[in-house]
Amino acid sequence: MEEKRHTSREYERELQEIKNGLLYLGAMTERAIDRGVKALLERDSDLARQVICDDDQIDKIDVEIEEKCIRLLALRQPAARDLRFITTAIKINGHLERIGDMASNIAEKAIILNEVPQIKPYIDLPRMADIARSMIKESLDALVHENVELAKKVREEDDTIDQLNEQIFRELLTFMLEDPRKIHASLYIMQISKSLERISDHAAGIADMVVYMVTGKSVRHKSSCESKE
Amino acid sequence: MTTRLFYKLFGTYLVIAVLAVVLAGFFIERELKTGLTRWIEEDLMAETQIIALMPEREIEKQSQTLAERSRARVTLIDARGLVTLDSNRQTKDLDNHLNRSEIQESRVKGKGTATRYSQTLKMDMLYVALPLYEGSHLKGYLRLSRPMLEVDRSVDKLRFSIFQVLLLIIILSMIVAFIFSMKVISPIQEIEAFTDKIRRGDVSGMLMIDSRDEIGQLSKNINDMVAELQERIRVANEEKWKLRAAFASMAEGVMVLDSQNRIEGLNKGMAEMIGREYADIVGKTPMEAFRNIALQDALNRFRQAGEIVLEEITLGDENPMILDVNISSVKSLPGQDPKTMIVFHNVTRLKKLEQVRADFVANVTHEIKTPLTAIIGFVETLQQGAIDDRVKAQKFLLTIHENAQRLNRLVDDLLTLSSIELGETKLHLEGLALDDVFETALTLISPRAALKNIRIQREVQPGLPRVCADRDRLVQILVNVLDNAVKFTPEGGSVSITASPEVQESIVIKITDTGIGISKSELPRLGERFYRIDKTRSREMGGTGLGLSIVKHLMKAHEGSMEIESTLGKGTTVSLRFPVLKKIS
Repeated sequence: MEEKRHTSREYERELQEIKNGLLYLGAMTERAIDRGVKALLERDSDLARQVICDDDQIDKIDVEIEEKCIRLLALRQPAARDLRFITTAIKINGHLERIGDMASNIAEKAIILNEVPQIKPYIDLPRMADIARSMIKESLDALVHENVELAKKVREEDDTIDQLNEQIFRELLTFMLEDPRKIHASLYIMQISKSLERISDHAAGIADMVVYMVTGKSVRHKSSCESKE
Repeated sequence: MTTRLFYKLFGTYLVIAVLAVVLAGFFIERELKTGLTRWIEEDLMAETQIIALMPEREIEKQSQTLAERSRARVTLIDARGLVTLDSNRQTKDLDNHLNRSEIQESRVKGKGTATRYSQTLKMDMLYVALPLYEGSHLKGYLRLSRPMLEVDRSVDKLRFSIFQVLLLIIILSMIVAFIFSMKVISPIQEIEAFTDKIRRGDVSGMLMIDSRDEIGQLSKNINDMVAELQERIRVANEEKWKLRAAFASMAEGVMVLDSQNRIEGLNKGMAEMIGREYADIVGKTPMEAFRNIALQDALNRFRQAGEIVLEEITLGDENPMILDVNISSVKSLPGQDPKTMIVFHNVTRLKKLEQVRADFVANVTHEIKTPLTAIIGFVETLQQGAIDDRVKAQKFLLTIHENAQRLNRLVDDLLTLSSIELGETKLHLEGLALDDVFETALTLISPRAALKNIRIQREVQPGLPRVCADRDRLVQILVNVLDNAVKFTPEGGSVSITASPEVQESIVIKITDTGIGISKSELPRLGERFYRIDKTRSREMGGTGLGLSIVKHLMKAHEGSMEIESTLGKGTTVSLRFPVLKKIS
């Protein structure tokens, strides 16, 4: 939207506001993930509680952005590119809100885990969190620069996360088989891992929406049969 | 040349000239006509008077001759108005002439003239009549008439030559008008071209019009104006460059947002601060460019309150920078939308120093507090009666002594450190043979190594030049590093100390252990005062947390350097680089 200026400055400002709102929301979710995982690593339950509180703010912004989008749809009747942008924005908004929820989930689990002794050093979890964060960041970078290549790259990173998730799963399984006392903590760690995996899925979803927004082609929903082969 | 003003001017002259000539022609013709008429009238009158002197019979007899000579129609009218004779017509055809104006006039005034359309001859005629007297008795009237055609004819003849002259006048005046118009037009054209050049932005040069009239004055004014303009532009440019230079050379980062909150510009300091990857941020919103919640919150606050906002934000993921942000509005020209100026001041280093200082105080108090608590605790126990139990008292005293010694070591280390830092320590630099120094250091460290069953290997390349160092200090450095190596190497491990020359006139001493190693993220923080990787264990081993810090400072004082490489679980290598003693000294 940088290149072509709209006749109505007000209209343009409104579009920009939505874009900025998405980026703000994205930055907030990034921070939430970062803090959620940090709360787990440093066993800082206060920080975890802070993350859970911040989720209310994320929810509030989510509602605001959605209202703005709907208002714009109703009042301005956007067409073509702008219409694509707004429908995309609504979807990205939803993804980000879910990511916020996931981060909040991670923080909740961290509080529980901080109550019990640490069963293993967390090595893969922070790696997963870093990748998930950078996926959100890159998908939003792709939105800002309307960069399809970058958006497609985000989708590829999703595989790494899936592998890490698998790895953690297997590792925890052995822990649980060896020592039933570790089952409690292992289950929570597994949930955190799952949350991170879901976050990366949402980030990939955002990237797909960016591809759609720029090219007008939908790249979602790869055939499930093919990927299994 | 073919400008509209030229046509206007030239056309006006032309119209005036033609009008004047036409008017002149008209008046000349009229004057000519009346002059000629009068002349003919007088001529005719004179002839009439001459003819009237002749006796009536003679007139009648010679009427044809008279008519021919005078080129006029001669008519005799009696007192009653009947025509008695007419040179051109039969008298009986003619009606009574008594009521004709010339007859009436001559009867009253003695002579009469009239110009009239003659029904008889079907043309404009000039009539002159005189009364004929016999004594005092009116006998009749003599009338001569000549056609006016003659006048017209002579006027026509003259008119052609008048027309020729007037045409000549018109042509001459056209030439004059052309020249004059050109003379008026050309400086105006010049002024027009010059002002157009200025409008296009070229304010050089000046008008060269040598004239004392209004146009000359105008060109002079324009020249003055341009000179003024040149001066103003120069001053404005100078201001602009001054501002730009100040803006560019500022260490602080400055960013200006337009009314739409897009980044309009940033200075060099800002570009350097945020790095190259942000070079394309112009035209984006701060949120798009920085993705920073704290910055956006600060901007939102500024927009709501409209007052200057001061905020501290952290920017960047890999190497976070702590920035003091100052948001204020730019006073813009009236009618322009307000702009926002954001000034970034990098306070990362300050913050770090602040942190180090705070950590230092916290650490020192903690380090001092721990042995003190132990000492006080045991002294109190002794006071409460334990002193009577000799065995226990002995043990307590030993503990008190140990803690007091630790306190003493700590204070010693702190003093050493501060004196090195303040540069108060005088180094007695001399050429030292490393073999000798290693011997001294190893003597000090061997008992501790022997306790843990750690082998110490020593290897000095033969023929090494002497290093330039203070002997006691060098021993201290080696002991500190070796002490660490022994401390963090498990039982049965090995420590080696080697010395080898390096290219740039320096010698490298490497101390390698097979210890627990240090993780990469911790490496940069080694050498900070009281920094301990594993806080509990290190203290158990009796360290003060100042060992490496002292080494680091001493190396600096020796103009050497220290590098630490380490692999977690495998071991650590500390490389100490010393300058070689120069031959001359």
